[in-house]
Amino acid sequence: MFKKLIDNSAARSPWLFHINAGSCNGCDIELVALLTPRYDVERLGFKLAGTPRHADIVVVTGPVTAQSKDRVLRTIAQVPDPKVIVTLGSCPRSCNVFRGSYSVVGPLDKYVPIDVSIAGCTPKPEAIIDGLALATQILKEKRGAK
Amino acid sequence: MEFLIKIVYILIFPGLLFSSVFGLWLAGIDRKVVARMQRRVGPPVLQPTYDFFKLLGKETIVPSCAARHTFLIAPYVGLISLVVTALFIPIGGLQAFGGMADMVVVLYLITIPSLAMIFGGSASASPFAGVGVSRSMVAIMAYELPLILVLLSIGRAAGGTYVTFSLERVTLYQQMFGSFLFDWRLIPAALAMLLVIPCEVGAHPFDVGEAETEICEGPLVEYSGAPLAVFKLSHAIKMFIMTALFCALFLGGISTGMLWLDVVIALALCSVVTLICMTLLHAITARLKVEQVFKFFWTVVSGLALVSLILVWFVD
Repeated sequence: MFKKLIDNSAARSPWLFHINAGSCNGCDIELVALLTPRYDVERLGFKLAGTPRHADIVVVTGPVTAQSKDRVLRTIAQVPDPKVIVTLGSCPRSCNVFRGSYSVVGPLDKYVPIDVSIAGCTPKPEAIIDGLALATQILKEKRGAK
Repeated sequence: MEFLIKIVYILIFPGLLFSSVFGLWLAGIDRKVVARMQRRVGPPVLQPTYDFFKLLGKETIVPSCAARHTFLIAPYVGLISLVVTALFIPIGGLQAFGGMADMVVVLYLITIPSLAMIFGGSASASPFAGVGVSRSMVAIMAYELPLILVLLSIGRAAGGTYVTFSLERVTLYQQMFGSFLFDWRLIPAALAMLLVIPCEVGAHPFDVGEAETEICEGPLVEYSGAPLAVFKLSHAIKMFIMTALFCALFLGGISTGMLWLDVVIALALCSVVTLICMTLLHAITARLKVEQVFKFFWTVVSGLALVSLILVWFVD
């Protein structure tokens, strides 16, 4: 009984942790816009956690810069299982316009497996909600597979 | 038989099961109403329950430099002491355990969850937790003085010529002579108590110790999985305990003759008190600084409680 309850709760209470890996701040603002009264993702149980230890979903923005690479990997390692890694915007997936720069060592999937990618520069809030909803489903599957 | 009844008191009502369910429900309506006040749809009322069960299913990570046993035991110490507190507070006249000086027992017991959080936070060896711990200590010192003054004035008002520390006597007195909330001498004390509740629970604007956006929830920063779930549950139960204490101290005069109806009315009043002193304050205020909290509680709130104490002592 408890296992089912926990599995169902996993999809209903995803806490986000947001890492900026050298982003231009555009995606970060769009992510914060989700918490405003207009989009209000808290109605789906989303919450921005202050620390990676509390998080279920890690949202990474920005092309991974040489300076941020270690921090990003260490932060992701601190998130307890089951966890889902979401990339927000084009940068973490392809480095976008920063590709080829001497300071960029991305894309992120060279270092960690990515579960959901939300494309766009920057993605619309609706697209982000869609991607996060997909992420909660993956979270539930990962929890169920354990 | 008596033993069985005690077990029911401890495990089901008003102990572990009931206080958890009702506390999580209170936390749920708190979040929902805050969201509605901010013109948002808000999470479902069951959201804290979902959070709790989800955290139970997460991995528990203990930092390598943490004091492992203290780190893992602290949340349970806090939870147990809260459940014990629930047994001593009369809910609509129903008090599981009583005694000559249960007010003093309650006063001691409701400090333990905060202390447990301080121990757990210190054991986690995180600098964020260190900042949170020192801030929590200041918050405890801030609200203890007005809380003691409020309890003294209530004790004097209920005791007549002496100070009583028995919650049962306070309830009986109110059932005979009317609730203390409508006694003009005790209105400042009631206001002070309404301000003590959010500080004790760690709600806005007095949540200096657990400031999420500044110090990542302070003492909880390294917690994950089941221990974090227990801390979240303790937080919810604390809301129930403190509002129930307010109802017992100031609104204990309601008696319809039927015990179950009294209990239901008391629980409804708990919800209303939660909405007034936690939800409303959360929606309309921003977080204070540590020194502002301390100053506010030792001047304004203690002053209010002191006015009541003096009135109760010298005015009939």
